[in-house]
Amino acid sequence: MMRFLGLRLGRALLTIVLVVTFAFVVLRLSGDPAMMIMSPEAPAEAIAAFRKAWGLDQPVWVQYLHYFGAILQGELGQSMRDGRPAILLVVERIPATLALTIPALILKVGLGIPAGIHAALHRNSLTDRLVMAGAVAGFTVPSFVLGLLLVLLFAVQLGWLPSGGQESWRSAILPVITLGLGGAGILARFTRSAMLEVLGQPYIRTASATGVPWRRVVRGHALPNAAIPTVTIVGFMIGSLIAGAVVVESVFSWPGVGRLLVVAVANRDLAVVQCILLLVASTMVTSNLIVDLLYGVLDPRLRAGGAAGAH
Amino acid sequence: MPLLSLEGVSRVYSARRGFLGRGVPVRAVDHVSLAVAPGQTLGIVGESGCGKSTTGRLALGLELPDSGEVRFRGAPLPPPGTAAWRAQRAQMQLVYQDPLGAMDRRLTIAAQIVEPLAIHGIGSPAERGDRLAALLRDVGLRMDQAERHPHELSGGQRQRAVLARALASDPALLVCDEPVSALDVSIQAQIVNMLTDLQAARGIAMIFISHDLKVVRQVSHEVAVMYLGRVVEQGDPDAIFADPLHPYARALVSAIPVPGPRRLPRIVLTGDPPNPADRPTGCAFHPRCALATAVCRNEDPALVVRGDGRRVACHRADELARAAA
Amino acid sequence: MSATALPILAPPRKRLRMPALVILAIGWIAAILLIAAFADWLRPYGITTLDLRARLTPPVGFGGTMRHLLGTDELGRDVLSRLIVSIRISLVIAFGATTIAAVLGTTLGFLAAHFRGWVEQVVLMLIDFQASMPFLILALSVLAFFGNSLALFVALMGLYGWERHARIARGLAISANAQGYAAAVRQLGARPGRIYLYHVLPNIASTLIVAGTLSFPEVVLLESGLSFLGLGVQPPMTSLGNMVGYGREYLTRAPWILLAPSSIIVLTTLSVSLLGDWLRDRLDPTLS
Repeated sequence: MMRFLGLRLGRALLTIVLVVTFAFVVLRLSGDPAMMIMSPEAPAEAIAAFRKAWGLDQPVWVQYLHYFGAILQGELGQSMRDGRPAILLVVERIPATLALTIPALILKVGLGIPAGIHAALHRNSLTDRLVMAGAVAGFTVPSFVLGLLLVLLFAVQLGWLPSGGQESWRSAILPVITLGLGGAGILARFTRSAMLEVLGQPYIRTASATGVPWRRVVRGHALPNAAIPTVTIVGFMIGSLIAGAVVVESVFSWPGVGRLLVVAVANRDLAVVQCILLLVASTMVTSNLIVDLLYGVLDPRLRAGGAAGAH
Repeated sequence: MPLLSLEGVSRVYSARRGFLGRGVPVRAVDHVSLAVAPGQTLGIVGESGCGKSTTGRLALGLELPDSGEVRFRGAPLPPPGTAAWRAQRAQMQLVYQDPLGAMDRRLTIAAQIVEPLAIHGIGSPAERGDRLAALLRDVGLRMDQAERHPHELSGGQRQRAVLARALASDPALLVCDEPVSALDVSIQAQIVNMLTDLQAARGIAMIFISHDLKVVRQVSHEVAVMYLGRVVEQGDPDAIFADPLHPYARALVSAIPVPGPRRLPRIVLTGDPPNPADRPTGCAFHPRCALATAVCRNEDPALVVRGDGRRVACHRADELARAAA
Repeated sequence: MSATALPILAPPRKRLRMPALVILAIGWIAAILLIAAFADWLRPYGITTLDLRARLTPPVGFGGTMRHLLGTDELGRDVLSRLIVSIRISLVIAFGATTIAAVLGTTLGFLAAHFRGWVEQVVLMLIDFQASMPFLILALSVLAFFGNSLALFVALMGLYGWERHARIARGLAISANAQGYAAAVRQLGARPGRIYLYHVLPNIASTLIVAGTLSFPEVVLLESGLSFLGLGVQPPMTSLGNMVGYGREYLTRAPWILLAPSSIIVLTTLSVSLLGDWLRDRLDPTLS
């Protein structure tokens, strides 16, 4: 078990290192940062001074080490637009994003998982077909289309809800629904197939045939076993919260991290982009680690020393 | 000069014992020396895990031995994967136990039989058609069967197809690794007869690996009995089956079902089948041998050549031979 | 022996039964492909042709004229023409990206399976990395650093989903190598190139194609999302996501500008997904 965790932790760290390396490589490859950040018409001495200040005249591997060190110290550069430290800009927007993504996550899980379970237990019924249709809609309708349609209906035609901004709690309703519905559909479909696979196993039939009441079979056997792959997906969804928010925040002009990323990319504000990239990587890695820990608890095969499970 | 010779060949794998254990060396093949004469068949018998398949792979050069040398026509084999090795494949081929797995599902039998010709650039495309017809005749397949796909044929027909493919490049040596074990008994007889006929017609040398002594006896000019990676008895097949000297060989021979009263009493081996990772001290067979003595527990018997050409690796072989005589 | 011997029945041929939805899906896909192919002949106007007297006219049937079947946008550009050309551009990008991902992924998968050792470890690490980071974020980072040219954009889209193909190719190549026909052909003396291209690849092609149909709609969604944000296809070129992005500002006054491309996006991804699901169910149910 410890060995399993150790491996996972090592992999997590490796991913972070890879992401930092990725950012560094991309940054260096994309051209001369001095030319990009200062305008090309700037006088030569200014550019040279900038280079020196940023250490751009050092050999590449020295720069890499500096870069790594800077990141470890939380020194992530300053935003181009207003000169404030990038990390502050990002951090002050996190609450806004959380205000959307956490209710959306609750919606996804609270709607998706029960729907999927119900659909699996009542296969080919009306509910099952509705759930499947909803799930298909969930991953074929892009979030911006869904968001705009909702705005068209509820804000423009019906006038019930505002179409954007962050004035009141009512402004959050449409974005949360947009974020949540799509994910709910995907989760429902996934839960349904995980449940179906477990229900098709011989041990379920045996339990039922030996007289165990069906509810207990489901609760005691099917659900816990189906939980394992489902937990992975939910973990992935948590890890990619920010990614999901990017488009929705733009549709609804919601001032969160996602919207900040889009603006930063458009303005090529590299410090902010780097910062958000690292934030997403850390979130992803952390949630994967937690999922792995949960695996260790949920899956008894892993608890028993990991000889069979770890590979 | 022998066509193929293995001289003191060993192959050691490193297996992990348990989850956190260190690597344990597994001697799959342990100082084996064998030779195949041109146009003759060497049979190798033994139970699962005795190293006979690995020996076959070493003989073909599919793996490199960890010690010792394999020579073909006097010259050492090139390392696997090199261009020289690939070119040499035309001279020596392997026939598998599972013919379905050895063939590409998508292609017809005919296409796969002539593939060695395409690989080694043998004959013009026009001539290949003729060679295909000749090969099909040799193995007893019809042209309409050859135009089918592997999964559309029976087990026996598939094995014939695999044989035809192996013979396409006219090799001097054929290594057959349990070629009939997956077939029905009646089909086994057909395939085995076909092999002996082919050998007589083409002068191909063969290494025939099997756990089934009856079959091995039929095709071999010389038999080697292997146990835990070593050759424990070797010699003329009829002589060995009439009068096995090594206790393990005696047990094997006595287990062959024969109609009517038995010539040799049935010997049932006690103890567990051997674990190659956990080799017993001294003679590897001693935990299961009814005749084991202190010497057997401590000293590893060498493979000794006797007067009649038989080789036996047993401390008590002489006594047993004298007792039987 | 019984006098009436039972005739030996041949196994029933598997009839190609397609559910109605799949037939509709194939029909839609065919229509879209035709539109994309013949875009230049089909469109009534150029995509930048301005008709300033007819700005923001609704589609025919909602108060518009036959001159502009789907209405016009704020500059008087014909929505139908722009839609047709957008279909082509979005499809070309999606096809190009899916192909790049398939070739890249399959090649890396084969390399990993063939060489094993450290090559395989590196490929596995890359696969893990790609699978664990949300692609949108990676794509946005690259776009931020590199700016925005079409070639770069297509190459970037081509990096989406390669890990899926790599995993499949590696897994199937390893199993083919270990026990099966690939080992047998190598033993015949074939060069690795022949083994992979002539034997392994045709055998795994159907699985790879199914994986491709699964990632194709995702690429379409990704591209349209990025274009919607203004970071994908840039004007004067137009793409489906692009149109939705520009149409957003006229949501209240002229919703048709964004409804038309949105429906195309949804219907196309839906059709390809349905087709892909059906193909997977028939060819390779083990693929998830």
